[in-house]
Formats: sequence, structure tokens, C-alpha cells
Amino acid sequence: MKKRQMYMRMITASLMRRRSRMLVALLSIAIGATVLSGLITIYYDVPRQMGAQFRNYGANMILTDADGSFTLSDMQQGTAVIPADALVGAAPYRYENVRIHEQPIVAAGTDMAGARATSPFWRVEGEWCSADGQILVGANVAESFRLKAGEMLTVSYTPETAQTQEDETVLDNTIDLEITGVLDTGGPEEDYVYMSLADLETLTGESGTIDVAELSVSANADELSSYVDRINASVPAVKAHLVKRVTASETTVLSKLQALVLLVTIVVLALTMICVATTMTAVVTERRKEIGLRKAIGASDRSIIGEFLGESMMLGGIGGVLGVVLGYVFAQQVSINVFSSSIRFQWLLVPITILVSILVTGLSSLLPIRSATEVDPALVLKGE
Amino acid sequence: MSLLELKNVYKIYGELHALDNVSLKVEKGEWVSIMGPSGSGKSTMMNIIGCMDKPSKGEVLLDGVDISKENARSLTAVRRDKIGLIFQQFHLVNYLTAVENVMLAQYYHSMPDEKEALEALDRVGLADRAHHLPSQLSGGEQQRVCVARALINYPEIILADEPTGNLDEANEEIVVDLFHKLHNEGTTLIVVTHDPEVAEVAQRTLVLRNGKLHKEIVNQNFTGKIHFDDMQEFRKEETK
Amino acid sequence: MFLRMIRGTLLRQWKKMLMIAFTIALGASLAAAMLSVMLDVGDKVNQELKTYGANITVVPKSSSVLNDLYDVEGEESAGAYLREDELGKIKTIFWAFNIVDYAPFLNTQANLDDGSEIQVTGSWFNHHMELPTGETLDAGIASMRSWWELKEGLWLDEQTTDENSAMVGAELAEAQGLHAGDTIHVTGTAADLLLHVSGIYDAGGDEDNQLYVPLNTAQALGGLDGKVDSIEVSALTTPDNELAERAAKNPASLTVAQYEIWYCTAYASSICYQIQEVITDSVASPVRQVADSEGAILEKTQLLMVLITILSLIGAALGICNLVTASVMERSSEIGLMKAIGAQNGAISGLVLTEIFITAIFGGVIGFLAGFGFAQIIGHTVFGSAITMKPMVIPIVAVLVVLVTLIGSIPAIRMLLRLRPAEVLHGGH
Repeated sequence: MKKRQMYMRMITASLMRRRSRMLVALLSIAIGATVLSGLITIYYDVPRQMGAQFRNYGANMILTDADGSFTLSDMQQGTAVIPADALVGAAPYRYENVRIHEQPIVAAGTDMAGARATSPFWRVEGEWCSADGQILVGANVAESFRLKAGEMLTVSYTPETAQTQEDETVLDNTIDLEITGVLDTGGPEEDYVYMSLADLETLTGESGTIDVAELSVSANADELSSYVDRINASVPAVKAHLVKRVTASETTVLSKLQALVLLVTIVVLALTMICVATTMTAVVTERRKEIGLRKAIGASDRSIIGEFLGESMMLGGIGGVLGVVLGYVFAQQVSINVFSSSIRFQWLLVPITILVSILVTGLSSLLPIRSATEVDPALVLKGE
Repeated sequence: MSLLELKNVYKIYGELHALDNVSLKVEKGEWVSIMGPSGSGKSTMMNIIGCMDKPSKGEVLLDGVDISKENARSLTAVRRDKIGLIFQQFHLVNYLTAVENVMLAQYYHSMPDEKEALEALDRVGLADRAHHLPSQLSGGEQQRVCVARALINYPEIILADEPTGNLDEANEEIVVDLFHKLHNEGTTLIVVTHDPEVAEVAQRTLVLRNGKLHKEIVNQNFTGKIHFDDMQEFRKEETK
Repeated sequence: MFLRMIRGTLLRQWKKMLMIAFTIALGASLAAAMLSVMLDVGDKVNQELKTYGANITVVPKSSSVLNDLYDVEGEESAGAYLREDELGKIKTIFWAFNIVDYAPFLNTQANLDDGSEIQVTGSWFNHHMELPTGETLDAGIASMRSWWELKEGLWLDEQTTDENSAMVGAELAEAQGLHAGDTIHVTGTAADLLLHVSGIYDAGGDEDNQLYVPLNTAQALGGLDGKVDSIEVSALTTPDNELAERAAKNPASLTVAQYEIWYCTAYASSICYQIQEVITDSVASPVRQVADSEGAILEKTQLLMVLITILSLIGAALGICNLVTASVMERSSEIGLMKAIGAQNGAISGLVLTEIFITAIFGGVIGFLAGFGFAQIIGHTVFGSAITMKPMVIPIVAVLVVLVTLIGSIPAIRMLLRLRPAEVLHGGH
């Protein structure tokens, strides 16, 4: 029989036949590895997941006209620059002065689905518009004209020709729209009414142009400015700006949050690793007598260290594998519970976790093994 | 040349002289008992002979080599190559089977050989218990595994420290019979004990008192009779 | 004798006991640190989110509808204003402590010498206030417009500069060729003033075409002494729930008990309600863009921290359990001996438990202090401010330590009690 075979036989015997003791140690190592892989996965995923939350603040990029006429296709060219998975929403806006009950009101024509995506903070009492022929009224407008969801509203528009010529014979254009909801934002939007772009074009009789496009892009500050540069360079028809209030603040808060998770991870990791180390110390110290016996029957210090280290590292490896699995489960649960989306798995963490786990267990048992080998076998074997 | 020779050995702990100018010789193939009350220096002597401790003063010659000057590393090597230890507390590795415990000694000595280890267990009458864990063996059986482990590497000396201290009379007899067998095969035996019954079967009994060699009794009746067959019979009875 | 035995163990086995104490200290410090951070993270992140600006705006009641509509047409409204002398009252409401910052705004139109019409906004920059409570507060847009990028010069400092200073928007400055240190002549409806340009800002929005001046200067320009258009309030709020939403619509719909809960919780709607109580003829409403997002982010962050805390607590608990089990089991021979000389199971369990608990208390106290230190490190590194110590952390950590130590000892003690003395004293191992 080869020496190596006996070596493996001893280690497996120790692991298998001292099951309860080894399970205790394994549990502790597995916890350490779980914390390692779980928290680091979360740490790497926080900017992405939290970034999505920050999109609640609405548009962080706007496109405006650069060449005199801003059309929907200009906007589409602009948004095409941004990767589809980073673009949370894009909404075109065209503002016109219209009249409601003979009072001047600003009406915005937009793409309702896009507006909903870019401005998740809009609260609509009633329903969002889902088709043409519908209108959302701002809360202030609704209050001043006593409008309620479900009613029909006549919106009139005086064509520019009529305005300039003050020609009484030219009649205002009118359109009847169904109020689906009242918009509550706490901001200037409450003074406006919102309808689909098509309805506004019908009302004004002019089509094709928009004033501004709002974009909500899930990206960090550097990526955002690179998108802006690329849009400005590749699409001459539009000019892209960042909404500084949103982007600057997001960077500040997000970096703090990530620093928080990082620091917490470091503290938790350090303490768990020390925990693993003390457990391994206890596991080895418990076996001083066995080490003394091995010495007494002629084992050299090196072979004892080799055997115990091999055992610890094997334990570390198993714990590491367990930790990878449990850590992924934990991170996934956190992600689902907190962010309602699944986590992006970091494959690199698999070897790292296992390696770190082996190293920590190995190193933390090395010291007590060394000190145990220095013990006089006669003393260990004689006294209790 | 004697196999083992202690020349004016002292072991001093502070004020206490655990060994006080002890000299003795053990010849190859001899069976010697060391007796004495607690605190007489038995254990110290056993540790020094077993290469687990060094004397404060004096020479310890094993096979003509003075081991009192060696460092811990080479003492381990001497222990591994020349001495087989048997303990009162048996000291088996509790997660290894009987045969694996015997192989452990082979492993540190040279090469583990399961067949040889099984043969050694057969010699102590434990062939059928080879794959049991220590916890599944009786005290006597554990001590026999210990004997098998001690002799597996054909040591120059087998050093037994109170080998029967934890055994009942029946098992004590089995172990003593094993010693007879080993003696007949030419093994040098040094047995440290405080049990006169165990001590007096040896060829020579050295009595220690207060760290000094108090007296030496030579067993005039020592016949070297082979007790082997008796033991076989006894074991059969025991297993019934 | 009992005490003597315990003292004996603690003194003689101090190394082993130290290790247990150390592990318990680690666990306790982890628990204390994570709990402190978790309980304070809401406030801390809330503070950070203040960079998004005000989450409540206050406008005069009668103007809230029609004035804005007239503004659309660009007409000067004769509408209502808020009263400047009431501004201080915002810091006297029930949730005054949660009002982090606020600033009044007064918009007025003015002409420059070249005839161009610009909007001049009067506000506080770093307005110093002595509160009735004895505290002081520097409120104003210096902190509420944290995203403004200063291109030139300095922020206008109300304490050191005279009233005739202004901050100029980047686009306006470019159009007029203005630089920090220049003076600009502004003609308002009631007065004309020579203003000193203290700084030029880039806000990335409409404000870049405006002139920001101290409130009194704008009042002088527009002849609107003691008047304010709107107030922006930055408050620490609790994310809205169903109750808050119902209350926001109509506080009268609540039962007395619900009303109490709502009024005494820092919901945006209850703070709005309280502001309306102190500012005459005002309408305060949450800025959804800020308030809702804050709510979502706060909730997520807190939940995240709660889950991480739970993980680390489980980790710490299992670690302690492990070590306690291992170290108690180690003493099987000693306990076998005690049984052999006639100790009862109860006496043995009592002895072992007392020893472990003395160690646990020792380790727990040290760990708690260390954990609080860790929390402070996190607080200072991440948020630049200390983590507030919540008193409830102490009992939570204490209960955890006791529970975990107890649970960790149970399997070991059960095993010890099952020991038969003979086995321990013979068998050798």
C-alpha cells in the first residue's frame, strides 16, 4: 500500500468516523463561506439593483432639438444609442397652449406608456390612458374646473394663423376626450393636461414635431455621460443633456450605499473568518492527545502537520462548496425579497470562495497544530 | 555491549531529584521489570528510556549511541526505529480501526502494509477483530492492539508503561502471556509497573525508591517457558 | 464550594474560557454593530437622499390653482402670498425635528440694462435662525441645491455679504458676459438695484437663466415686502402606507386612534398637514418625484440591511453554539469524575452553565462595546457621521447572547449527563 493511500485513508477516516465533531467544524466553515459568497454577490449586485430603484426619480437624460425640427424619428435615433436593457423608458413631449372652459392650459402630448416608465412617481387617481381619445388632467386643473375621472372634456385650440390674424371667423379646433384619471405629482405637472401625441396632433392640425424627449436610463454616472457624448456625436438632429439634479444625487447616494454594503461585508466577513479560526483552533486543540500519541509512536512534526492540515483543508473545501451553494441561495432570496428580481451570479466567486475557505481553515488550524506538535508527548499521554 | 545502558543518570526538577544517579544495563533479549511506588521516578525513567525526555545529567546509551545529547527531531527518529511503546491508557486513535492503528506505526516508520499489520494482529490473537474501532473493543483487546502496534516495526526494545493497569485479571494474564511469547522470540522487554505479580514474571526486577535504584531482584525461577498454548486455550474460553 | 469550583475553572482553564469569551465577544460585536447600523441606516440614507432637494412644497392656498395658470400666460398675478414672518413656525411643528432644511422662494420679473427680461428669484442661501428651542439652524438653498455646480466665485454667504449680492445662472452669465466679482444693474417693478455677482452656478435646468438673490432683495425689487411665493421643505419622512394615503386625502376620514397614529408618524402627509396648521392660508403637498422615490429606496435599503443582519446574526449564533458545544464536550473526563464521586446531574449542569454564562457575560459586554465601535467606523466612513445608539440594541444583544449560549450548551450538557463515569475513567478517551 502506498503512503499516500494510507494518508487519504486516515483523513477520510477522521472525517467520516468523527462525524459529529467534524459536522460542527464543517458547519462553521460553511457559514463563513456562505457569508463570503452571499455578501459579495450582493455587494456586486447592489449598484444594478439599487440603480433600478433610483429610476423612481424619473428621467435622468433629456433630448432637445438641435437642428430646428425635432421629430419622433430623431428621438428614436437618439434612444437607439442606449442599450435596450439600460433604457428604462423614453417619452416624447410636445407642449401646446390649449383652452379648457375658455381658460388657457398647457397641454402635453406624449406616449403614455413611455411617460409612465420614465416618471414612475406620477400618481394617477383613476386609470392611465390606454388609447387615443383619452386625457389625464393635473390635480390643480381638475380642482379648478371640478373635473373627475370618467367625464368627457372638450379641449379647444386656436390655430396660430387665427391667433396672429385675430380673425374671428376662424373657429377654434376642438376635440372631445375622456378623462381617465387625475394626475398627482406634487410638482408643476399638476397644472397640465396630458393626452396622446396623436390626439394633440389632431387638435392642432400640425404633426411631426416634439419639443423634448425624457429618457430614464439605468446606468452609472460615467456610462451616462458616455451615452450623452455618443448621442451628441452620432445623432446631429438632437442634443442630449443630463438632468443634473437626478444624476448627481444618484451618484452620491448610490456610492454611499455601495460603500455601506462593502463595509458591512468586510466587518461581517472579518468576524466570521475569526469565528472559523477559533472553531478550527478548538477542533485541533481537542486533539492534542492524539497528536502526542502520533509523536510517541514516531511521527515527525512534518508528517503530523501534513495530516492535520490536509484534513482541515479538505474540510475547508467541502465547507467552501457548501458555502457557494448556500450563499447563492441567500443572495437570491435577498434579491427576490428586496428587489423582486433575481441576482446576477458571479461565477468567479465559486473558485474564490472555495479557495478562501480552504486557506482560512488551513491557516487557522496551522497555528494550533504547530503548537500541539511542540508538546512533549510524554506529558500529553500521561496526564489528563 | 549492552543494548541499553544508563550511566549516572540524573533528572532534576528544581529541588526534586526525580532520578538520582541511576545506572543500569539491559542486555539484548532481556525481560526487565521496573517497579516502585508512586513518585519513585518510574515514569521519569520510562520517559528517558522511551526517548520522550532527556536526563539532566548522565548518559543514556541505546545500541551504543548516546541519546541524551540528541535533539527532539532525532529522538523522534530513534523512538520510531528502535522502540515500541505500550501505554496504560492504550492510546489508540479512536477513529481508526484496529488494523489501521497498527498501520499507523508502519506509516510513520516506513510503508503501511495491511497484510503485515493483519498478521501482527493475528499474533496477538485479534485477527477477527481487525476491522473494529477501539470503542468496539474491550480493554484487553485494545491493549493487545497496542502490543501489535508496538511490535509491528520489529523494535529493539518494547517499553510498556503499566500495561496491565487498566485491565482485569483475565486480560492481564493474556497480556503477560503475550510478553512471554515476545520474550521467547527474542524481543527485549522493559515493563514499568507497580504490580508485583506482573513484575515478578520478568527475568530481573529493578526497584526504584526516591529516584534511586533501591534493589535488584533476579528471578531465579524464570524458565522462559512457552505459555503460548495456554494463552490460545484461554482465549477460546474467553470468547465463548 | 460551588463558587470555589467555578473560580477554579475560570482561573485554571482561562485559556479555554478566554477563547469562548472571545468568540462570544465576536458574535456580540457583530450583532451589536449590525443592529446599530440597521436601525440607523434609515435615518442615514434619508439624510443622503436630501441631496435630491425638497420633498414638500408649500404654496398659498388661493394661488395653488389659478396663479399657476395665469403664469402660463406670463401675466403677473395679483394673487396670494405666504407671509415671511411665519417661516420660523415651520420649525415648531410636531415633527420639527425631522425638518432638515427649508427655504422660501419669491419670483419676480426684472429687466437688465440691455432691456432683456429675466426672472429674479429671492431665497435664503444659508439663512441663520435662532430657534425657540435654543437650537440654531442654517437653512437655505446652499444645501438644498446640492446638485448645482459652482462655475465661478463662491456661494452667496448671507452672513458675510450685504444684501445686494446675487448668484447668476450659467447661461445668463454667458449671455451677459458676467463673471464672479462683476456688478449687474437690475430694474425691478418697485426698485432698481446694483447687485454684486458672488458666484455663477450650473444647475442643468431652467435656473441657469435666472438670477438668485437674497429674499429681501427680491422683495425690494418687486415691492413685495414680507411676502413669499412658495416654501420648499426638506424633511425626513417615513415611507407612506395605506393609512398615510387615506389621511392625505382627508384627515377627517380617520378614527381618533388612527388620526393619532398618523399625526404622530413622520409621514410626508402628516408633516404637510402640520405645516398647513402653522402657515396661514397655505397648501403643503409632497413632491412625489422625491417623496415616493425616497420611500422606495429607504424601504429597499432597510430590508437589505435587515436581511444581511439576519444572516450575520445566524452566522454569529452558530459560531458561538459550535464553540460552546465543542468546549463543553472536551471536559467529559472531568465531569465523569465528578459523577463518579457523586455529583448530581443538576449540580453538574448548574456548574457548567454558570461557568459558561460568566464567560458569556464577560465576552458579551466586551463584544458589545467593540460592536458599537465597528458601527461608528461604518458610520464615519460611509456617512461621515456617528451612528446613533439605539437603546433597544442592548437588550436585543443581551437576549441573543444568552439564548445562543444556552442553545449551544444544551447538546453538550445532554451528552455530558448521559456519560457513564466508568466509561470516561476507564476507556482512556
